[in-house]
Amino acid sequence: MSLEGKLALVTGSGRGIGRAIALKLASHGADIIVNFFRHRDSAEQTAKDVEALGVKAEAIRANVGDPAKIDEMFDMIGNKFGHLDILISNAASGVGRPVVDIDVKAWEWTMDINARALLLCAQRAAKLMDGRGGKIVSISSLGSRFVLPNYTIVGVSKAALEALTRYLAIELAPQNICVNTVAASAVETEALKFYFKEGLVKDSRQLTPAGRMVIPEDVANVVAFLCSEEAFMIRGQTIIIDGGTSVGLFALAGKGE
Amino acid sequence: MTVEEQVRDIVAKITRVDKSIITRQSTFKEIKADSLDVVQALVAVEEAFGIEIPDEEAQKFQNFGDFVSYVENRVAKEEKV
Repeated sequence: MSLEGKLALVTGSGRGIGRAIALKLASHGADIIVNFFRHRDSAEQTAKDVEALGVKAEAIRANVGDPAKIDEMFDMIGNKFGHLDILISNAASGVGRPVVDIDVKAWEWTMDINARALLLCAQRAAKLMDGRGGKIVSISSLGSRFVLPNYTIVGVSKAALEALTRYLAIELAPQNICVNTVAASAVETEALKFYFKEGLVKDSRQLTPAGRMVIPEDVANVVAFLCSEEAFMIRGQTIIIDGGTSVGLFALAGKGE
Repeated sequence: MTVEEQVRDIVAKITRVDKSIITRQSTFKEIKADSLDVVQALVAVEEAFGIEIPDEEAQKFQNFGDFVSYVENRVAKEEKV
């Protein structure tokens, strides 16, 4: 599998899953645009590590929850590179609250960053992919279909992301753009510590038939495959990466106690 | 308008509290700012002053006064450059 000569934008790639994806795509030869919002140092480190793999990297700051910032980022990419081959819509945020405590501000913040950003980035990316085709992969989570504590807004935003993926896949197919999403169960990252207490993480390990938690590289491997020509016929799908957790829910019931 | 007044206006607007209750000693908790309010305040202040406030720095803010002092220092540095 080679992504040599391809240019990929990975949103939110300073840390965690985004960073792993950036490094994985770079290891297959793609040049990487490292988008970040709150953590410049981490993004610059990712860019440095990408360059160490022998490809080009550039860090760009943009809050993907803000349409004007998305426009600025894509204007910059358009002016500097004139094209884009791969968009990874990974940046995510969220407010962990019980349903009764959700307010409009928390809802909009999460939906704007997690769901609307894919729409706006895909619209701009499709223009930069015009005539050359491309790949768009977004990052969802199992919370789109399963209920997790205090995860309502993020789960709903991921469900929107998955639905949007299907529409994008069909409407962008004539432009030779493949659109898919990957949904992972709890992935061992800094963000996980923020959302969940250790108890849930421990349960997650015990409830995974594969015997360990999902790590960022597991997600990156699938994303890289979806960005390859070998995955050309996969369109509009949500690929689940959970070590078998979701299909084994009933068989495993009680094991987390 | 001073830096402090501008930052106070931004924080008051985001947290929907009367700006008269926000003093330099006020903690974010005291003005009922949750984590999202804090992030939105940081982003709004960054845009208003054309600066970047890394999360690592923001986490050190104990109260509104720390936030204002940080922005004042950054603005003064930008002006020197």
